[in-house]
Amino acid sequence: MFAVETLNLSKRYGKTDALRGLNFTVNEGEIMVILGPNGSGKTTLLMILCTILKPSSGTAKVVGIDVVEEGTKVREVMGIAFQEARGFWRHKPSSILKFHASMFDIDPAKRQDLIERTMKDLELWESRDKMFMHLSGGQAKRLETAKVLIQQPKLAIFDEPTSQVDLRGKRKIWDKIRELRDQGSTVIVATNEVREAEYLADRVTILHQGQRVVCDTIPKLKDAIAGGDIVEVDFEDPVSGKLVKDLNGLGGDVSLSSEGNQLRAKVSRAEDWVPKMTSASYVAGAKIASIRITEPSLDDVFLHFTGKALAGQP
Amino acid sequence: MNRVLTLAAYNVRILLSERTWFILAWALFGLQIAVYGSLMSKLVSTTVPNYLFFYGVGLMVITVFDSGADVGRHFVEHAHEGELPYFLSLPVSRGGFLAAQAIYGVANTMIKVLPPLIGVLWFVGDLTIQGAVFALISMFLLGLGITGIMVSMSFIAFKSVDIYSAFLAGLSALIVRFSTVFYPLIFMPSFYSPISVFSPLTYGADLTRWVLGFDPNFLLNPILAAAVVTGVAVGTLSLSARIVDKVIEGVKAA
Ligand SMILES: Nc1ncnc2c1ncn2[C@@H]1O[C@H](COP(=O)(O)OP(=O)(O)OP(=O)(O)O)[C@@H](O)[C@H]1O
Ligand SMILES: [Mg+2]
Repeated sequence: MFAVETLNLSKRYGKTDALRGLNFTVNEGEIMVILGPNGSGKTTLLMILCTILKPSSGTAKVVGIDVVEEGTKVREVMGIAFQEARGFWRHKPSSILKFHASMFDIDPAKRQDLIERTMKDLELWESRDKMFMHLSGGQAKRLETAKVLIQQPKLAIFDEPTSQVDLRGKRKIWDKIRELRDQGSTVIVATNEVREAEYLADRVTILHQGQRVVCDTIPKLKDAIAGGDIVEVDFEDPVSGKLVKDLNGLGGDVSLSSEGNQLRAKVSRAEDWVPKMTSASYVAGAKIASIRITEPSLDDVFLHFTGKALAGQP
Repeated sequence: MNRVLTLAAYNVRILLSERTWFILAWALFGLQIAVYGSLMSKLVSTTVPNYLFFYGVGLMVITVFDSGADVGRHFVEHAHEGELPYFLSLPVSRGGFLAAQAIYGVANTMIKVLPPLIGVLWFVGDLTIQGAVFALISMFLLGLGITGIMVSMSFIAFKSVDIYSAFLAGLSALIVRFSTVFYPLIFMPSFYSPISVFSPLTYGADLTRWVLGFDPNFLLNPILAAAVVTGVAVGTLSLSARIVDKVIEGVKAA
């Protein structure tokens, strides 16, 4: 059984098609990152999964339970940290978390401890006596994340958990999200930040204009781009034409260019190509000084599959 | 069930933190009764004996109406401050969510109405536990009905809060003026007494007066009044349960 499964899921707001026939699955116990630019339908999808919005057509199931038919049961097994931290203007962080914990039947004996620990982990402890409306944007987002961490739901959903959060905070949140997965939760993270996806994802679903473009592990997505890895090799002597010819003869999907002592190769899998290249160079008597392999980023992957750059990227 | 209560308790706690409002509401009530009520009572003493009592109950019914409207506003505020999606993501059924709102509304109403009720009954020299309890039940049912109407109307607020406010102001004026809160039905001119039939306050006010022992000649048939008040409560609450489900679609996904 999938932790989440949508079939032909569509959502219309008036004239806007936010989701268009989306088929999407998440396996139990993995971190699935939904990567997509602004307006691609990430939040809409998550709002349908947590039963706040209803699909216009198609179905969605969470741990096998239909989100429309049995909404209350779905809400019992999941927790969501919203993209915009939500309300409770005149309450303090600790009482907001207490309320949340009590709604999800967290053992009262452990509640206080858990809340204190989570607040300290997310560096919220110093702001414990401020009212919600006086928290900074980043602090409010941390609090939003803390709700779900305390809850430890079967399915944990985070909608852009680190937008507005500083770099240190991002790391903390990411580590806590991974910890949540290691303790058995299935996790969905929506983001438009490549770095967040790279750090967290067991698998990535790329969403574009309400449709799934592709879904796979990050290494496989990168491999799927022809000429995926870039290998830069420095030789001790200038690169000879013969060497280039030899290396071209190794086969595979390779394009080479050389300048002075340096050779640049775009290959689909550096792991396969580099060993062949080193032994061919050795045979040709060309001494290697250094090798650098750079991977394409998820930006390149996104660009490759959609023909467009991710929001905010050049 | 437990969760519904937790949710309701959360709302009520916020309510209790707004003590000043209650004190103000009670003071205003006292002022209205003391000045307007007693003066009018003298003026009309030949046609309606004990008008002060009649008026006192009418004023309580208006208080019930206002606090029902408060719940509607509270609900709309939730939606606009972004709390609504959070509440809707909690493991409570939609019916349970509404029940929590209704409990909040009832608590709000009771706090506002109980001291005036005891005050009026004591002042008129008619204070019995029985009377007070039945009057509370009658106003409680009316309050549920008003809450139901207000929450049902809240879908308008998702098109525009301005239209909602304007609509509510208009609606309250109509519902209050064309009801029997201030004047007995039998004195209403025939050209607008038919309209008063459409105001739930007519039934709530007359029922409350009846249980408090006011002269039945000035009132509606109590069985009819009780039936309508109960019917409105049940009907509008189930209507609002349906509407809550639909309304949410209007909330911006963000
Ligand atoms: N309540 C609404 N009414 C009308 N259109 C809406 C509503 N909510 C979302 N949309 C539209 O649906 C599309 C998808 O929006 P959604 O919020 O799901 O995108 P997103 O991927 O979460 O974007 P972001 O990265 O900016 O958060 C957008 O075109 C948006 O304008
Ligand atoms: Mg979004």
